[in-house]
Amino acid sequence: MSPSGGIGVVLACVVVILALAPLVALTGYGGTFPDTGIFADPYLARVLRFSLLQASLSTLLSVLPAILVARALARRPNLPARRLVLGLLGVPLVVPSIVVVLGVVSVFGADGWLPLGRRLYGLTGILIAHVFFNLPLAARLLLPSLEQIPSAQRRLAHQLGFNSWQYWRHIEWPALRGALPGTALLIFMLCLTSFAVVLTLGGGPRSTTLEVAIYQSLRFDFNPPRAVSLALMQLGLCAMLAMLSVRLTRHREVEGDSGGARHFDRTLGSNTGWARLADGTAIGTALALVAGVLTAIVVDGANTTMISVLNRPEVLDSLFTSLFIALIAAAMATLCGWLILTSSTRFAAGGREWLGNTLEGIATIVYVVPPLVIGTGYFLMLHRLVDLDRLTVPVVIAVNALMGLPFVIRSLAAPMRQRAAEYGRLCTSLKICGWQRFVLVDFPLLRRPLGLAAALAAALSFGDLGVVALFASNEQSTLPLLLYRYLSAYRVNEAAVVGLLLLGSCLMLFVLVERVLGGPRHAGH
Amino acid sequence: MLDINGLSCVLGNEGELTFEFDLRVERGEIVSIIGPSGSGKSTLLNLVGGFLVPDHGTILVDNIQIQTLPPGDRPVSTVFQEHNLFPHLSVADNVALGIHPGLKLDKYQHEQVNDALARVHLHGFNERKPGALSSGQRQRVSIARALVRERPVLLLDEPLSGLGPALRHELLTLLRELVEREFMAALLVSHHPEDTRVASTRTAFLTGGRIHAIADTHVLLEDLEDPLIREYLGRE
Repeated sequence: MSPSGGIGVVLACVVVILALAPLVALTGYGGTFPDTGIFADPYLARVLRFSLLQASLSTLLSVLPAILVARALARRPNLPARRLVLGLLGVPLVVPSIVVVLGVVSVFGADGWLPLGRRLYGLTGILIAHVFFNLPLAARLLLPSLEQIPSAQRRLAHQLGFNSWQYWRHIEWPALRGALPGTALLIFMLCLTSFAVVLTLGGGPRSTTLEVAIYQSLRFDFNPPRAVSLALMQLGLCAMLAMLSVRLTRHREVEGDSGGARHFDRTLGSNTGWARLADGTAIGTALALVAGVLTAIVVDGANTTMISVLNRPEVLDSLFTSLFIALIAAAMATLCGWLILTSSTRFAAGGREWLGNTLEGIATIVYVVPPLVIGTGYFLMLHRLVDLDRLTVPVVIAVNALMGLPFVIRSLAAPMRQRAAEYGRLCTSLKICGWQRFVLVDFPLLRRPLGLAAALAAALSFGDLGVVALFASNEQSTLPLLLYRYLSAYRVNEAAVVGLLLLGSCLMLFVLVERVLGGPRHAGH
Repeated sequence: MLDINGLSCVLGNEGELTFEFDLRVERGEIVSIIGPSGSGKSTLLNLVGGFLVPDHGTILVDNIQIQTLPPGDRPVSTVFQEHNLFPHLSVADNVALGIHPGLKLDKYQHEQVNDALARVHLHGFNERKPGALSSGQRQRVSIARALVRERPVLLLDEPLSGLGPALRHELLTLLRELVEREFMAALLVSHHPEDTRVASTRTAFLTGGRIHAIADTHVLLEDLEDPLIREYLGRE
């Protein structure tokens, strides 16, 4: 085994140990384990039922409209401001969930533009927030498979005189079918483990999910065995889903539309008034949801208390703490992901594809361990050795890095394998390796996806409300936690200002990391 | 000078594909490799280039065994079908990578790069990016890099696919001249029997993982007695 192949294996093992050790620590902590009592508990049955119900509904309400949106976007390559539309649909991915809650309440709350009254708190609100995140995500995940339809097929369809329905049935649906189960499963899993949204918009006994139940059993009746039982249940569910999704998704090389195809008019059989209306409605509705919520956050945030709130030391302190955590966690996740992928790519290129896949799978599987459980485990392991106040930031960094890793691996795996397939043999034959290969070849060729991965990890960490909500002392805070505290105290105006600050700084952090690491757009090639 | 003796390997998960090669290539000569897909053309080049490990047999260059060396240490240069050039590096840097993989060149070596570019008729293209070149020019840059590497064996893995007849003819003539002048031993994999007439005196016909026949190019291409060659060429 080559030395760098070894680094990846060692790192993957470290990641697994870091993710699983806390479970062991929690298990051994006091009380009897397993707390089998809870499996007979009607409360748990209700929590489980609600978790699955809201995740299923969220998935359905996100993916079905997303198909229409993706289809409309694929059929209209000459849509005015198409890049802008795609960009806007990408925004929810990096908006902190606690900020979205703020925006959803502002649009649909009692004083909002579309008041839903008390119904908002509970299933309805949770679904709206989840659709806000996941409809655009699903549309963007499905779009490439539609854009990969070869232009020859489209021309053929023209020649055969397909109408819109026939085009969908014979060409679009077969292209989409492969990507659908993986997309739906990913979204199901994201909704199943959603925390901040359910904590703030649900949370009552009627609308609690497993993740929130874990939080409550740790925060309010400090009962680690119970938390572990809940965590194991969630872990089992997620592991099952993850295995299913591995079976359903394969490595596919995503290529952009070729130059010639782009110029070819794709608006096939769909230039009738009705088709235009349908496509326009699909894209318009998705945009309205995204833009509406974001606008509400901006409008509410720019209120009269703004100057005074932004001048508060606690606000600035939280901002810097969040930045510090996000940058270090993102750097760790990106570096770790890069090294693991370097090894797995090498294994795959050396004919041991299964080893590469296993390595990537192991590093991604961390995702199924609830971050709250990981965080709590660390506290129980370390609180005797280190002062609790000093522990919060490092533990949050570690947990966020672990949580960022799957995203880094997901977004870098395909580009890295493709580059390796294209230039791997050339590099070996010219003996370009190690640091030279990184500086001369890999970094310039991969800096765009690398920048994107790091920016994503940074934004996710920056906006995360999870472990920090459990353990931060009153003097300590991150920006999302501060927002949650203001919200819980019904300090509406101050919350709105912090929400706007959180949104703005998160987007800026994302753009900065992406540009600095990813290099200027349209460079070189 | 390049001697391939009983070089064999087994590919496929269940060992369904067996390859075995014997071949000798002299200095100053391009031997063309033709044959149906799956016949082992790429496998042969990958074995010589060091991207595949043989199970048995030897590869000798000037009577020195090289089959255990890693790809970068072999006295071999390869021009691949595509992705020969790094798109973010200039033409000169792409060639310079053949001299030093860290791009640390002295003055004399810079001259070498310029000289090699001139020999493939790309004088003054140093600062261009590959994206600004035609596909024929791009392949000439990769040939220039092979020249500066000064390795005696040259492997040409379908380097002309995607080029028109006139460009193919021009590049093949250039390759033939360079191989003769630099006194290299070259293997050219091609899907076009016409290429072999321009490039090589001798041609090998592969089928089923073996060299079925090797002969003077015009003899082999006119050998209508052999049913396998006849079938491959589509002659009745």
